Amino acid sequence: MIRRMVQVCRLMIALALLLSAGCATVHPWDRDLLAEKKMSFIPSPMLLAVDEHIYFSKEASTGGMDAGGGGCGCN
Amino acid sequence: MMMAFEMRLRFFISLLVLVLILPSWPDFAEATRDNRATAPDFTLPTSSTSSGMLSLHDFRGKVVYVDFWASWCVPCRQSFPWMSSMSDRYAAQGLVVVAVNLDKKRDSVDEFLQRFPATFAVALDPSGKTAEAFHVAAMPSSFIVSRTGRIIYSHAGFEPAKAQIIEDQIKEALSQ
Amino acid sequence: MRVQLESGKRSSPLREMLHTAALGLLLVPATAKAGDPTDRVDVTSLLYGEQGRTQVIEPVVRFTHLWADGQSVSAQLAVDVITGASPTGALPSGVVQTRTSASGRVITSAAGAIPMAPFQDHRVAFDGEWQKPFSRIFTSTVGGHFSREKDYQSLGVNAKLSTDLMNRLVTITIGGGINHDSVFPVGGTPIGLSDGIVVHSGSNSKEVKNVLLGGSRILTRRWMMSVNGSQTFESGYLTEPYKVISLMNPVTGAPVGQLTDKRPSTRNRSSVLLSSVYHLNDDVLYTSYRYYWDTWSVRSHTIDIKYRRDLDTDTYLEPLVRYYRQTAASFFTVGLEQGAPLPDFATSDYRLGRLQTITLGATYGTRFEDIQGDWTLRAQYMRQFGDSSPPNAIGIQRNFDLAPPVNIVAVVIGYSFGY
Repeated sequence: MIRRMVQVCRLMIALALLLSAGCATVHPWDRDLLAEKKMSFIPSPMLLAVDEHIYFSKEASTGGMDAGGGGCGCN
Repeated sequence: MMMAFEMRLRFFISLLVLVLILPSWPDFAEATRDNRATAPDFTLPTSSTSSGMLSLHDFRGKVVYVDFWASWCVPCRQSFPWMSSMSDRYAAQGLVVVAVNLDKKRDSVDEFLQRFPATFAVALDPSGKTAEAFHVAAMPSSFIVSRTGRIIYSHAGFEPAKAQIIEDQIKEALSQ
Repeated sequence: MRVQLESGKRSSPLREMLHTAALGLLLVPATAKAGDPTDRVDVTSLLYGEQGRTQVIEPVVRFTHLWADGQSVSAQLAVDVITGASPTGALPSGVVQTRTSASGRVITSAAGAIPMAPFQDHRVAFDGEWQKPFSRIFTSTVGGHFSREKDYQSLGVNAKLSTDLMNRLVTITIGGGINHDSVFPVGGTPIGLSDGIVVHSGSNSKEVKNVLLGGSRILTRRWMMSVNGSQTFESGYLTEPYKVISLMNPVTGAPVGQLTDKRPSTRNRSSVLLSSVYHLNDDVLYTSYRYYWDTWSVRSHTIDIKYRRDLDTDTYLEPLVRYYRQTAASFFTVGLEQGAPLPDFATSDYRLGRLQTITLGATYGTRFEDIQGDWTLRAQYMRQFGDSSPPNAIGIQRNFDLAPPVNIVAVVIGYSFGY
């Protein structure tokens, strides 16, 4: 069980490292596009909640969908 | 059970540290800047069609409040009326407010200025080079430049609740 | 008149329809106040229908108050009205089957058809949330939840802390929650794997604890990614009291009786979610992948792709595709053989069997010049595929489709405005 989880995590690390390697910094004043409301992992929390509710009642899996992040470099 | 969970949690944390923090370590150092340094000089076009160019060194002998902003930055909307009132209140004592815009498109600047009119100078730097020279770490960011051209205070972000502190710093700079 | 107001603007039949509906609602505020809004109202309404099975109507209303410092408090009320029928878990018999439901109703199912039980319920849920940014880089969120239906009650609290690092290139989130639920089945709680003997008529408790750890990173001016890990620990009464498992003749496969469902009293769920948001010139591509696994041996993969296309400054269209596939729980079985020793746990609930879901849909969002606020319309079609001919089906069961595909249509109408 734990071994399996470790395996999955390793896979994720490898994947994420691959994706983030070598990327340049994004200056706070270059975040005009990132500041747009649509540039969010969850642009519409209400719609996500509805979907999660549907899938929760129709499938055996649940969880993991809700966390923050992204957006502009404001304040 | 609990042991296993702790192990897993620790694993998740190390995963995140690796993936997210390490690749971006260098610009953390960049964000720390030394105060009391000479303010980097700049010459930029202004937003008003008539007055042409503006240079920081033109204001030697005055206290300059340099603000970096963009039209898409929400807290910048709150700082504009406040900067207008500072400019109105302390201009006679030698305060100059210069708001350096960092938008890529001119249209959005004009739109913003129509909604939030400025009674102070607005300079345009679509390249962001000035912001880079000042090591701007957040939007908006502001710097109080003394009469001798040194940065004596800097602020990342703008919160109306903390505006009084900045006003006190301006008064202090004006008294020197 | 309306045409006149909209002249010079892109107008589609969908927009027209939404506009007519919008004007019909009297709750629309007259004009916007100057400056940034301090209060927000979000209203959504879900219309959900499964072909030949369950229908749901769920209106949700949410009020949010925002302060200038970024602090916000919100309160949400949701009501679900559920009617229809769901599979009991029993096998088709080849002849017309009748059984009596918990509420005393007589249920008949056609030969070869999956036996279904009618049900109706309504649920009222209240959620509250308080979000507060502090010392420039932290945001804390504290929330509470209460919901109640005929046979289920849920009470929970949750908290989350986010911190922005590296000039906000990175956001780390840590969160957790505790839920205390009560299950009080109509007609009493039956003993698991019995023929329905009721042990007690009171409530059964269920505890759910959850931890979440997430990190997101801005990669370029147009691209950000996140990794989230979550763990959920469930303990207590996790059985579905109304579901049954057929006892079948070991040779012919004909159902000769049925036993109640019985699931383990603990379940640990884990998931890792990888998401990406990418800004193409104006359009945005949202993709996510989740791997899920739990101690009931369910493993699943979920891929979700949305593509938002801005049609003009006020209108967008966002097609979406989702693919989900899960393995069966270790104790899932289509039926139990008569005379064989009983297992510790068993369920025939198709949602714990091997399953795939395909979702296709689109969200349409728009604004109108004469009405303040944002309108959204999302329509989705889902199709679920179970294991139609599982390997352990015996005798006549091999002739039947033991998991006929489920067709689902879900429509959500949303309206948000600030004042």
